[in-house]
Amino acid sequence: MTNTVIGSSIVIDGEISGEEDLVIQGTVKGRIVLKENVFVEQSGVVEADIETNNIEVSGQVTGNIVATDKVEITAGGRAIGDIKAPRILIADGAIFKGNVDMDA
Amino acid sequence: MTEPITVIGTKTMINGNLEGDEDLTVEGHVEGSINLSKTLTVEVGGVVRANINVRNAIISGVLVGNVEAQEAVHITEQGRVVGDITSPRVILVDGSSFRGSIDMGDFNIETTPGEIQRSTPVTRFEEDGEEEEAPARATTRVRTVPTRRPAARPAPARSSRAPAKPAAKKAAAKRKKPPAPKVRSVGKTRGKKKR
Repeated sequence: MTNTVIGSSIVIDGEISGEEDLVIQGTVKGRIVLKENVFVEQSGVVEADIETNNIEVSGQVTGNIVATDKVEITAGGRAIGDIKAPRILIADGAIFKGNVDMDA
Repeated sequence: MTEPITVIGTKTMINGNLEGDEDLTVEGHVEGSINLSKTLTVEVGGVVRANINVRNAIISGVLVGNVEAQEAVHITEQGRVVGDITSPRVILVDGSSFRGSIDMGDFNIETTPGEIQRSTPVTRFEEDGEEEEAPARATTRVRTVPTRRPAARPAPARSSRAPAKPAAKKAAAKRKKPPAPKVRSVGKTRGKKKR
């Protein structure tokens, strides 16, 4: 539990940066810059540009995503924006709108 | 993970506004502002540079900014706080460090016994001081006057007694002449006569 958790009732307006896992259950607006994994859970709402290593979207993301490893949008996830990553997974039932760039 | 507990980890930095209705634990860095309806805990190693509006605040790390708490602010032994605190309850533990002002809100000073004891002696002291100044001068004057008078009286009395013993003529002569030289001459005459 050394990672960061943004609880469901939390609203952050600004920039989050770090070098550890980030779990978002609440709302984040602004910018996220991480070198580890981002988990946007079902209740999570992100309106931000995201730079990270890995991201798993089960909630809602609005913004551009740049990942150095992988972007995964699960069955209940919704993402609007451009995605740039070497590996992109969009599960059956996921909602996505935007451009995909897999050029490493 | 589903528990309504928010943690800002040791390697995470948040720059901006943070709002919420649940407990927040800061182990990393937060800059900006924090508005919570519950408890903010800044752990050891946590650094918060923000204006804070919370229900409770427990500070074990570093906090720079103004704190407004609806219930209480607790600065633990390892806590360091710079800023102004507004809260009905503020606890500063031995070992904690704090710089700033504390406002615990409006309360009746008169109902606090310690305050009454402090305030009344001060007023009494001031009143006494004013009153004492006049009497003190009077008493000193009275004292000085009588002490001077008796000192003056015995001196001439002795001089008068001394001359009275040797002769009435000398005493009469002394009365005509100034008293100080007479005494000296009397003493000399006494010594001469005794010898």
